[in-house]
This record gives sequence, structure tokens and C-alpha cells, in this order.
Amino acid sequence: MTTRRDFVRYGALSGSALILGIRRDGDVVSVYKAPARFAPNAWIAIDETGRTVLAVGKQEMGQGVRTSLAMILADELDADWSAIELVQASPGPSFNRLNTGGSWSIGGSWRPLREAGAAARTMLVAAAAAKWGVEATACRSENGTVVHNASGRRLRYGELVADAARLTVPTNARTKAAAERRIVGTRRARIDAPRIVDGSAKYGIDTRIPGMLFASIARAPVPGATVAAIDSAAALRVAGVRSVQRISSGVAIVATNTWAALKGRAALNVQWNEGENRRFNSADHWKALEAALSEPGVVTRSVGAPRREAPNAKIVEARYHYPFAAHAPVEPMNCVAHVHDGRCDVWVPTQAPNSVQDDVAQLLGMQPQAVHVTPTLMGGGFGRRLDVDYAVEAAELSRAIAAPVQVLWTREDDMRHGHFQNASVHQMYGAIDRSGRPLAWRHKKVASLHNLSGPPTADDLKDPVAYFQDSMWGAYDIPYAFPAIETSYVRVDVPYRIGPWRAVYSPPSTFARECFLDELAHAAATDPLEFRLSLLRGAEETVKAGNLTIARSRLRRVLEIVRERSGWGAPLPAGRGRGVACNVYDGETHIAYVAEVSRPNQRRDGYLPFVVHRITCVVDCGVVINPLGIEQQIESGVIWALSNMKGEITFRDGRVEQSSYRDFPVVRMSEAPLIETYIVPSHGEQPFGMGEPPVPPLIPAVLNALFAATGRRICRLPVLATDLA
Amino acid sequence: MAEISIVVNGSRRSLNVESDTPLLWILRDELGLTGTKYGCGVGVCGACTVLQGDTAVRSCQITAADAAGKRFTTIEGLSDDRSHPLQRAWIQEDVSQCGYCQAGMLLTTSALLKTKPNATDADIDAALDQHVCRCGTYPRIRRAIHRVVRGVP
Repeated sequence: MTTRRDFVRYGALSGSALILGIRRDGDVVSVYKAPARFAPNAWIAIDETGRTVLAVGKQEMGQGVRTSLAMILADELDADWSAIELVQASPGPSFNRLNTGGSWSIGGSWRPLREAGAAARTMLVAAAAAKWGVEATACRSENGTVVHNASGRRLRYGELVADAARLTVPTNARTKAAAERRIVGTRRARIDAPRIVDGSAKYGIDTRIPGMLFASIARAPVPGATVAAIDSAAALRVAGVRSVQRISSGVAIVATNTWAALKGRAALNVQWNEGENRRFNSADHWKALEAALSEPGVVTRSVGAPRREAPNAKIVEARYHYPFAAHAPVEPMNCVAHVHDGRCDVWVPTQAPNSVQDDVAQLLGMQPQAVHVTPTLMGGGFGRRLDVDYAVEAAELSRAIAAPVQVLWTREDDMRHGHFQNASVHQMYGAIDRSGRPLAWRHKKVASLHNLSGPPTADDLKDPVAYFQDSMWGAYDIPYAFPAIETSYVRVDVPYRIGPWRAVYSPPSTFARECFLDELAHAAATDPLEFRLSLLRGAEETVKAGNLTIARSRLRRVLEIVRERSGWGAPLPAGRGRGVACNVYDGETHIAYVAEVSRPNQRRDGYLPFVVHRITCVVDCGVVINPLGIEQQIESGVIWALSNMKGEITFRDGRVEQSSYRDFPVVRMSEAPLIETYIVPSHGEQPFGMGEPPVPPLIPAVLNALFAATGRRICRLPVLATDLA
Repeated sequence: MAEISIVVNGSRRSLNVESDTPLLWILRDELGLTGTKYGCGVGVCGACTVLQGDTAVRSCQITAADAAGKRFTTIEGLSDDRSHPLQRAWIQEDVSQCGYCQAGMLLTTSALLKTKPNATDADIDAALDQHVCRCGTYPRIRRAIHRVVRGVP
């Protein structure tokens, strides 16, 4: 395998080079020649030796985006896949959409990357054709070369870049048709795999720069607490501790190495004014959420007349509870910042390099271009690293001590001081007629808002339905054809930071929706999979919900395939049950799961109180970029969601009670099920994301299977052994 | 401060460190061997696993005083050229996602296969259940180990 240098500098290109950038203005994409030899704005650079350097404009956290985006670009360019090199883009004029979230890296990059690749390929073919004195249409490109069809003559891209660079960039270069693709749609191993297995891959935490100091921060134990007094004498006596600094996020111990910083922090004594939030407790919060169910809330979708009771209707009601959860990526938050000479250099494992640049510039009173951000690999992201709090505090500390510094969060910091997935209560109401046909569906969700950017503005609240619909993802976009639907949202604020988490707002709502649908199917004495199919065979093949379009036919197809692939209905060993759930994520990726579950032979503390034997997944994400990557994201989402059934974040006296994987348990090797993924063949014109969509429907599939296996309907997470006793 | 000497990846290293400094931070901050990762600092995640002799240990739980005079292998020393059968199998099965926990997984597995070259699924569970992977690479780790056990190149 060719070694690919990471984060290559474009300055190392030799001789002439074809260097193209991509400019995006709203939906308009234009490809242009980047003028300078040193080309920090370049998306594609090919030099005379044939070195092909492609920019990656999204952040790698394990979702495989460095591989899949490179596949799109290399395919359209007809580059030699084994020889390409990647450079991770830093924020700049041509790189203003580096933030990575919402499962939109592939979807949003698909067109611009292909247009850039097509432009470069067209220029290289034109250069070769001119050299040979033939028509460009008589030539083809393949694997880093241009070939003259009739004569079989070949020129390598490196031999053509000098001429190609003198041509005008075509404005409407033809992108490939599906049948012409050679890389997209094939199984490609992760580009970073070799340097992961030898330990040379550099994550944010591995950043080392000359003169760098190390810091750990004592943080307010309760949100909003302020420092009353600091006794730093003992901390300053720790060998290696340089100083104690007050910064916005707490009290920082600055030291010459990590261990000294951690010891210094342990020796530091900070008294806090804890304020009102010290009264916050999980038990009270659940009561507050339940109490708020009596409020009308904001109706986020209404179909038919959901409040008219049909005579003789069979009514089913249930209440579902979903807990707070942390992200707990194995690499804790960290950042190296160096404020010097009117600029700030930042090395940070972030999903949001553009936000880092903007927020650090604002803190320091600098222009954004004075903040030089180097995004690194991330040891997991899951939405936590869309928040840039840990980068801004590192810059603040570097300014205070006039030195480069690495701020490292401990595992405890990570568990306690990040933002969280929301706790919520869901009141469900379903009505069916005496023959089991659906009549009405109501879903009321009580939860706090995402609050990382503050409370909603007056502007936000001008259209409350549109504003609150996001919080009802997974609920208001229910794909099923009930004659009457009402979904509503009641807001209960919390003093903690609530924000993006893998699949954002969807997991709690989809959990309640898909489990309750199972309850209705049983009430109707109908097979749960058939019940879903019947509810997707309504008159309308597509249905609008807010600004989302739900394609019922595509969801039906994944259900039909999962029925076949999972052996739905075939006999199972005694004690084992099957469950099904499905979802259309954000109107885009369609997934259906069947889970096979049983009680364990013996109870094991710290483990799930049930065994998941097998998960069958069918996914339709439109155009398939990397089937291998899709399988990995399914496996990842399945195990992520199973962890969500094990652990929760709770509060006592205003404090988070958990501190590590010991009390916020996650799924381990022996709990991982067999996972089989079937990908609906590539179709359509648009690929959709895969990072988040596998998460929401997994928990309900497992809980529905657990009901089939045990007769116990679990409506509250995490699942406890006592729930099944 | 204490002067200690340890052997890391075959090289003897002499250091002046506080005697309570965990081996993890000696490797990362003093020796620049950043392939060994910090994940929890309390021995529950396995990201910092290294080999002491042929035994997998948590480097966050070993102080400089305990480490003195001993021989360790980190991920950088598993092979010179990614040729260890586990490294090859990890690439073949495309195990890694974010990759952060994989050094620990690889080193624990290498210790497992030293004592149990025909490791069963139960052996794999027992050896790796104290390792956390948040990306969910467990099924592929299992397949990569099976590949090595069966001698599939």
C-alpha cells in the first residue's frame, strides 16, 4: 500500500501544477484556478511528478469522511486511488464550510466535489488532446492518465499539468454518469488505517509544539457557580506547577507536564458560590417533566381531527422516559492554543473549525484570518465537538500566560461539564377501530431546548411551529398514514448545556414512537411488521411534514427486505424474540432493523440485562459511496444505541453524579451482537448521510424484541435488571 | 524527583520524574510516544494499555516507581513496519473507525494470543471486555482476531 503523507503542505509540489479551488455562494458552485504555488485554498493540486493532493473539507471522527470524500473527488478526477494524498483543510476563504455535523458531509459535498473533479479532468483531457492534435472526445481518462482511444497513446496527468494549467476552467464540465464511476460504490478501506495500527496517527491530544505548557482546569461543580475563594498554596508546591490562573471557565493549573497539572489541580482548593442550581436533582426534574404534560404545548404537526374520539375506538396510552446522556468519546476534550504576535495558532480535535476560528477571534478581538486553526483527527466526536468551548478557553489561557498551552479535560470533566443529550417524557395516545385499523395518533414530548447558543430569540419565536419542530424530530415526521395525527412539544428548561448528540433530537422521539407503534400493533392483534407496512400503504407515496418529505415507498422497501433477510416469522429458539423498528432520518436515510433478543443465562453486573443475539439492518441512503463505510456506520450506530440502554447522566445537588465509564457504562465486546447489513443498491442522484441515521430506530427494535421474548414492555431507559425480574 | 530507568520498545531510557508519575504520562510527555492514549486515568477504558514483558497492563495505573527496571512495549514497538499479524488483520478487516482506542485493543490482543494462540470467542470476550470503544468496532475486532487465529493472511 502506498504511504500517504498526512497533512501535506502544498508548497512541496514540484514544477508546474494544476491547482483548482471551489467557491460556493449559496447553492452556486464555481471552480477556479488557485493562483499561487503555495495554495492554501486548493481543493485539487496535481504537480509534474503526478502527485495528486486532494483537500478534505470535513472533519474525521471515525465516520470515514476522509476516505469517502476523497473517493468522490478521486473518482470524478479519474485519479490513481493508490497514489492520492490528502490534506486536511484549515479555515480560509475557500474553506468556509468545514463544520461537520447533521450527517451532511457526503450529501453536501457530493455536487461541489464532483464539479471540481470534472473540471480538472476535462482540462487534463483537453491538454492531452491538444498535444496529440485530436478531438478531446476521442480521448478518455483513467487512473491518472489520458488515453487516445484510437491509438492507445497515453499521457500521465503529471505530464499534462503544465498545459492544463494554462486552459480556462470549464464552467459546466460534464460529471460522470453512474455507470462511469470506478471508485464510488466500491469497498474502500479507511485511508487512515495504517497509521492508526502503528500508533503514528496524531489526534488533538498528541499535539506537541515547542515551549508548550500543560493545563488542567477546576470547573464550577454546578452550572453558574462562581469562585468565592482560591487557596493555591498546595497546588503551587507541586513540582512542575508554574502558575494558577483564573479564566472564564474556572481555575487553571499550568504546569510543565500533564501529570503535574493534574496533581496541582487535585491539590487546589477552590470555594464556590454555588447559587440556585445546587437545588437541581434528577428526581425533581422527572416530576417537573411529568407535570408539564398538562400544558398544551406547541402543536408541531396536525393532520385530520386527532382530538375527536371515534365511537367504539380502542384507545391505547403510554408514557415513555428517555434520560440525559453524555457523549463520552474516548479522547477527552483538549486543545493547544498559542496567542502570539497578534495571532493565535490553534490545534484542535473539532467538528467545527470555522466556529473555532470565529469564536477565538471574537474572544481575542482579532480578525478571523489571524486565527490559524489546524483541525486534527478526533478520537470520536458524536456532536460533542460541535461545541468549541474547549478551544476558546485554551486561547484565553494562552493569552493569560503568554505561552503555548495544551488544555486537557479529564474523563470526569468530560462526563460532567460537556453538553448533554436531553431527558424527555413522551405521552403517547393511539386509537384504532374494532378491526384494528388506525384512527388517531398523538405524541406529546416534554424536554428542554437545545441551548448552546442561548435561549430562543424573539425572531425565533415569531414562527413557533417551525422553531420547535426541530425538537420534535422523530415525532412530527412520523411516516405512518394515520387519519389523524397531532404532535406537540412542551418546553421545560434546565440549567445544563443541552446540544448536539449523535442523531440530535431524534433518538428519544423515535424510541417512543416506534415502541408505542408496537403497542398499537399488539392492541390491533396484527404482526408489528405488517402493521407498519399497512400504515405505509396509504394513498400518498410521499408525505410532507414541516420541510421534510417522507418517501413511504422507500421505507416500505427497507421493511420488506428486512422481513426477508431477518427470517421474520421463522421459528426461534425458546426464550428468544424478534422486534422491528424503522425510521426515515431527517427525510433522507431510510433504515429498518430486526433485533433478536433473549434474557441472559446469568445476570452480570455492569452489563445489559438482556442479550442481543443478532441485528439485521436494511438501509437505503441513495447513492452508495463506500459500502464498507456504510456497514461500519451501521455497526457503530447499533453499538452506540445499545450503550444508550445501559447508562444515563443524573444530577444530585446540582452536580452530575457520573465520572467515568464505571458509572456511565457503555457496551463492551461481549455485548456486541452479530450485525448483518444489507444496503439497498445505489440509486437516485443524491447520497445521504450515515453517521447518525443508524442510531434512532435501534433501541425500539431491541425493546420490541424484548417484549416479544419476555412480555415485558420497557418504557424507560436505561433498562435495569429489575425491569425484567 | 526520582531517577529511573525503563526499557521501552527495546531501548533503555533513563528519566528524572516524580516517582508517582503514571507510566502513561512518562510515555506521552517525556518520551514522546503518543500512540499510548489517555482515556480515563482510572483503569476502566483500556486506551493506555501497553505490554509489560508479555502481559497487557494499564499504563495509567503504573507509577514511575513501579515501572523502574521493567521492560515495556507500546504500539510504536509492536512491529517496525505494521507487519505484526494483528496489525495486518486490523487493516484487512478495516477494524478502525476513529482509531483512538485501537492501540490498547491491539496490545491486549497480542498478549492474549501469546498465551492462547487459538483464542476462542469466550477468550476474546474475557480479554477485551475491559476495553471501551465508543465507535463500536467490536465485531470487526473479533473478526480480525479470528483471522489471525485461523492463520488467514
